[in-house]
Amino acid sequence: MSARGFASVGWVAGVAATALGCYMVSLQVASTRASLEDVETQIVVAQRDIRVLQTEIGTRGRLAQLEQWNVKVLALSAPQANQFLDGEFQLATMVTPKKTVDPAAPVVLASAPAPSPSARPLLSSDADVANPAEPAGTDAKSMMHIASFKRDLPAPEQRQMVVKPVPAPAKAAPAKAAADAKSKAADKKTAARPPAAKTADNKSAVSSAPSKSPAKPAAKKVVDKPIVVKTAAADTSAKAAKPKTSQPKVDPLAPKPAKSREAKPKQ
Amino acid sequence: MNAPTPALVARPDRLRLVGQRRQILAVMHQRLMFGLIVFAAVVTLIVGRLLFLAAFGDHAGRKQSLTSFVPPRGDIVDRDGHPLARTIDAWTIGLHPAKVLGNKAELAVRLAKLMPERDEVQWLQLLRSNKRFIYLRRRAAPSLVQAINALGEPGLALEREPDRLYPQTDLAAHVLGFTDIDGHGAAGMERAFDERLSDPATRGQPLVLSINSRVQQALEHELLDAKTKFSAIGAAGVILDIHTGEIMAMTSLPQLNPNIAGNMDPEARFNRATLGVWELGSTFKPFTVAMAMDHGNVKSMGQIYNCPKQLKVYGRAINDTHPFGRACSVAEIMKESSNIGTAQIAAETGAAAQKQFLKLMGFLDPIEVELKEKGRTLAPRDWSPLATMTVGYGHGIAVTPLHLANGYATLFNGGIYRPTTLLKVGPGHAVAKGRRAFSEETSYKMRSLLRLVVTHGTGKKADAPGYRVGGKTGTAEKLIGGRYSKTVVVTSFAGVFPMDEPRYAMVVMLDEPKGTAETFGFRTAGWNAAPTFGKVVSRIAPMLGVRPDMRREPNMAEVLPYVREEK
Repeated sequence: MSARGFASVGWVAGVAATALGCYMVSLQVASTRASLEDVETQIVVAQRDIRVLQTEIGTRGRLAQLEQWNVKVLALSAPQANQFLDGEFQLATMVTPKKTVDPAAPVVLASAPAPSPSARPLLSSDADVANPAEPAGTDAKSMMHIASFKRDLPAPEQRQMVVKPVPAPAKAAPAKAAADAKSKAADKKTAARPPAAKTADNKSAVSSAPSKSPAKPAAKKVVDKPIVVKTAAADTSAKAAKPKTSQPKVDPLAPKPAKSREAKPKQ
Repeated sequence: MNAPTPALVARPDRLRLVGQRRQILAVMHQRLMFGLIVFAAVVTLIVGRLLFLAAFGDHAGRKQSLTSFVPPRGDIVDRDGHPLARTIDAWTIGLHPAKVLGNKAELAVRLAKLMPERDEVQWLQLLRSNKRFIYLRRRAAPSLVQAINALGEPGLALEREPDRLYPQTDLAAHVLGFTDIDGHGAAGMERAFDERLSDPATRGQPLVLSINSRVQQALEHELLDAKTKFSAIGAAGVILDIHTGEIMAMTSLPQLNPNIAGNMDPEARFNRATLGVWELGSTFKPFTVAMAMDHGNVKSMGQIYNCPKQLKVYGRAINDTHPFGRACSVAEIMKESSNIGTAQIAAETGAAAQKQFLKLMGFLDPIEVELKEKGRTLAPRDWSPLATMTVGYGHGIAVTPLHLANGYATLFNGGIYRPTTLLKVGPGHAVAKGRRAFSEETSYKMRSLLRLVVTHGTGKKADAPGYRVGGKTGTAEKLIGGRYSKTVVVTSFAGVFPMDEPRYAMVVMLDEPKGTAETFGFRTAGWNAAPTFGKVVSRIAPMLGVRPDMRREPNMAEVLPYVREEK
């Protein structure tokens, strides 16, 4: 009885609660929307502020002002035509590589008390081809060479030496050197001969240097080198050292000169 | 008992009464019901509407159209997007004389202290005037606004109003123009595009000009330098992209500050580049030669003309600054800027052809550009044989510097005339359709001829090493009172760079330059306009992406064989 009496109240309460719920949802939506609009307004205000600041910075840093500062203080000017480069390559050409001092060099120098008399012939044999009439003059020069390249030393310095006599007559030199190397290597392998014999060998090689021989040594040298170095290490004589060093000297240019050499001796 | 007994039968009138009352009651019930329904309906309607609004409506604080910022007037930016004109909110100080409450005399004293442009008496007069509203200061400084606010006078109104600001001050001022007090364009692009800039639909997007502000700055600076150095009364400069007709920079001196355009000298507001027309002298000579080549009269740069020391024609004597006194080739005529030689070439071409070429190049019409400040060009009325000759070397015809620049662009872009434009060419603004004025071959051959002028001739000082400048000097005597003055000149240099593959045309003009010690007293273009041109080129060419290259040149073998070496 009582429950039925309250049914209508229940209905009213239910309807009211539902309506309230709906209203709350709507209110929620409205408030969210309002806060969203607030954010939008903030964005617009921020945009306006940014504009104002940009305008201020732009006005303070106007080009005329910068120009004035440049004229009065900085004195910068437009780049000249010759300050433009074509690329990395041109840039690289403008930088001369620094001369690297090889830390190993002094040590080697100390271990090479070049016995000059025996050393000279070797060198002169090399130099002979370039200008055969300067045995006396080569003295100091040869000393210098000795100082600058040593047996353990890497190729670069020796390469410089080769580069110097590049002109035509010098091209024969590598050929002979190659020939030398070959003969010497052979020599050394068999037995360490006295220096005089070696020089004789060299000379014979110079004189006999056939047109064919250079091609082979060029190929061989690569193989030879390590062996030669070893023998050199074994040999305490400076003469032994020189041929070895002269070989690497030839080596870098080996592939190309091979052809030119063939041409030249024939002449 | 003695009470009257009711009548057993109702009296007829009473009976009628009862019936009437019932009727009336019924009617009243009906009416009440109707009223109730109406009220109920109204209430229902209101409640329904309320519910609807609660469910779907916007809330009271809803703001509209604020989702993005739209300036009160559109921005103007350069081709790289740097702002050149913007609208900001500026403080405005106004006065409502009727609303002033405090002591007016005291207020006048204080105002005079804050804004000394008027003294106390004037301020008092202003405060006592019967006007409703007076502007005291527009674009007031914040400190002043603060001080005025501190006065606490309700009659003084402080408001924020949109105001046009040109952040770069006088940069490209004549291109931009300025606005009047109501915020409408009064000159320049502001005037030409007033509608677009103020229309709410379009003003959100900035107006993109073809101007490159760095190039513009370089041009303005160098020109101002030259103007000061040579004590010229004015100067003008134009840089054009010859393939699109875009104006990369355009300036006119004396300078104009558009922020205070109203206070500027009318002379400064005058746009010398598009409104002023000048007889530009020898800078016309390349056109004459090109016309003759196109017309078939000049077949080679080595064609020989007789160049005496003075040429007397139709009762007038034509003189040269460097008289040859011998037969000379077209290349030499151009190199030494010989009036005598050019006059003969022009005479060969004839008036009709000359007129037609000038028409094709747009020299007889106002310049085609968006600006509304356009000068009407002057040309000979009768086009007599003598006029043909003088027009050949740039006298008797007056055009704007922009005309001249576009003429060079036409000559060197392969021979096609295009209208110039101040709007950036790109999506939405295509390159204007052109018309052919010169043949491509003529255009090509002219390259070496103009390069020759710079390497060997009168324009040596215009050379910017590596940028292959080619061009022509022009010194024209000014018409003063109908007579050519011997001392007052307009010098100009018109040229193109890089000459082996022309890309930009430039004109530099100085109005009434004077000689200096540095120029040994000379006031010809080779001494003032040409070096200015060279300086500008060496500054702007790297910005415009022109690679300097000392090894490139146009084909000089076409002209050099025809130039006799001077001892």
